Amino acid sequence: MKTIEVQGLHKSFAEIQAVRGVSFSVEQGEIFSLLGPNGAGKTTTISMLCCLLRPDGGDALIMGHSICNDPMGVKSVLGVVPQDIALYEDLTARENLTFWGKMYGLRGSALTSRVNEVLEVIGLADRAKDRVAKFPGGMKRRVNIAVALIHKPKVIYMDEPTVGIDPQSRRNILDNVVELKNQGMTVLYTTHYMEEAQELSDHIGIMDHGEMIACGTHAELVRIVGELDRISLSVSKLTTHTGSETMLQDLRGLPGVHQVDLEDETITLLVADGHQLLPAIFEVAAVQRIKITRADVLEPNLEAVFLQLTGRALRD
Amino acid sequence: MLRVFDIALKDLHQLMRDRTTFLFLLIMPILFTLLFGYANGAFRGSLNDPRLPVGFLDQDSTWLSRSLHDQLAASEVLRLQSRLWISENDLENQVAKDKLAAAIIIPAGYSHALLRGEAARLVLIGDTGTTVGRSIESEALTAIIHVENAARTALILEQVAGERTAFDFIFSKALTAWKNPPIRVVETTSAAIPEQNGGINALTHTSPGMMLQFAIASLLTSAQVIVHERKSGSLRRLLTTSTNRWQILFGHFTAILVLNFVQFLTLILFAQIFLNVNYLRAPGATLLVAFSAALCVAALGLLIGILAKNEEQAILFSLVLMFALSGIGGAWMPLEVTGRAFQAFGHLSPIAWAMDGFKNVTLRGMGIESAWLPSLALLCYAILFFTLAAFRFSKAEERL
Repeated sequence: MKTIEVQGLHKSFAEIQAVRGVSFSVEQGEIFSLLGPNGAGKTTTISMLCCLLRPDGGDALIMGHSICNDPMGVKSVLGVVPQDIALYEDLTARENLTFWGKMYGLRGSALTSRVNEVLEVIGLADRAKDRVAKFPGGMKRRVNIAVALIHKPKVIYMDEPTVGIDPQSRRNILDNVVELKNQGMTVLYTTHYMEEAQELSDHIGIMDHGEMIACGTHAELVRIVGELDRISLSVSKLTTHTGSETMLQDLRGLPGVHQVDLEDETITLLVADGHQLLPAIFEVAAVQRIKITRADVLEPNLEAVFLQLTGRALRD
Repeated sequence: MLRVFDIALKDLHQLMRDRTTFLFLLIMPILFTLLFGYANGAFRGSLNDPRLPVGFLDQDSTWLSRSLHDQLAASEVLRLQSRLWISENDLENQVAKDKLAAAIIIPAGYSHALLRGEAARLVLIGDTGTTVGRSIESEALTAIIHVENAARTALILEQVAGERTAFDFIFSKALTAWKNPPIRVVETTSAAIPEQNGGINALTHTSPGMMLQFAIASLLTSAQVIVHERKSGSLRRLLTTSTNRWQILFGHFTAILVLNFVQFLTLILFAQIFLNVNYLRAPGATLLVAFSAALCVAALGLLIGILAKNEEQAILFSLVLMFALSGIGGAWMPLEVTGRAFQAFGHLSPIAWAMDGFKNVTLRGMGIESAWLPSLALLCYAILFFTLAAFRFSKAEERL
């Protein structure tokens, strides 16, 4: 039995279709990442899987419990790490964990010992009596994650847990996610950071405009773009330059160039051999008198996959 | 059910850590009760002596007149004020200027006439056409009757016993016997007696008025807890656990209920002990009204917390409702002094019903039967506010 099985989820808000027929499955003990830009429908999908939103169509089974027919069963096996710090900041770390433990059904000595255990794991045993409001952001994140783990859930959802935090804290969180998998938990992880999805995930689902546009392992997804390299060119004042459109046409006309995309002051090309094509690209720019301030040649990655599938860069 | 108490306990922890809570729950109502009470004439004379001030002039200066003075001084209705070198004219002037409710003068020769079996009359200066005047007259007559009958009894027995010392003993015994009459009136007021103006009754109005007003004002902290829970995402997180919406609603409701009920009990005890407002004349009635009012205020607090989109709105809604409901409901000024139309309008505010309930006990001396209607009205308001809150909460869930 798959731990998470999502079948054709639909959700609309007024005229906007936020999620359109999303389906995927997650095996036990796996890390599955939902990757996509802001507004792709990741959070709406997670909200339905948490039973916060009722789907307009479709269903999902979480350890055999239907989100439509057995939401309490779903919630009993679930831990959720929301994107924002969802804690009571005027309570202490211990009080927060104790309260949330009670909400997850823990009581008495079992609760007390579990709270102590979790405080040790997240390294805040000596700050247990301090109010969360006094903690720096990284510590709050740790408590935020710890709350979701207090009741030892089988499945844990993590909704963009590394947004807006420093690199060291991000590293800690990513290490914790891997540790959760090692402990046998199934992790559903949403992010718009390609590197996180690549590093953590057993399987990745790429979403855009409410649809699952690709799903598979990293290797399987990268194969979508074949062996194409990605060249990223940073140019100055391109959008106001009269020769910009001609330059893009000339670039598309170069042999080996499969796709050219312009976003703000960055031109992204999918090419057969990036290093070989660079001189020709610079020549085109010189002819049009356009200054290239930076050029990067990148091997196939999820960014390329997204670009290939949607025609847009993954990052907004 | 346990989760309801867990959520309530969590809310109470948060509220107890906010100093504003104590400010609005206890400090402000006490200060405003004293301030408004003073402004309305309380604390004139003894803070602890709400009896009617009555001037006293003893022109007889005998042991009998002093006995009569002692009887009157022990009265629970009037408070004697006697000063040296005060004249009859002075007393008349003070009564006319309302500085005294009345004055009693024992004329010279009163005792002599009494002991000789002749008609002995006191002088009462006051308006016996008013309730106050009649109360004082009645109390004075009672004291006079006790003293005169004791004197006559002693006279009769002295004639029988034939020794002087027996008179004092018998007189004293006879007078003492009046302290345990065969019939004792427990309640001396009724709803038929119009509310008396004056400093004595000021605190019986301002005490419940300010208590109720600041119960609503204190909702700004309770409501902010609910608002902040929603804004921080904690409510959304709560809904991902096995906790359902009714547990969350009742949890928050219970916290506000406990807070406000404890506030009421504390302020009632304070007023009972220090301000001589007799809430505990009918403790069952007072508790029933207090609990019903706490239910109503708690439901209102829940509604404010759910309606407000941010902390500023929670404060605004709480304060606006505080002013509106208190002003209309008679927390500042008795509705009884307004016209019938405004009294009817004022009873759209739950404050008016709560004021009725408390004042039925403290001012009108009524019992538990007077608390049922106000409590029922408050309960209806509580149900209305809670239903609106629950409906709005279910609509807001989709937007989380």
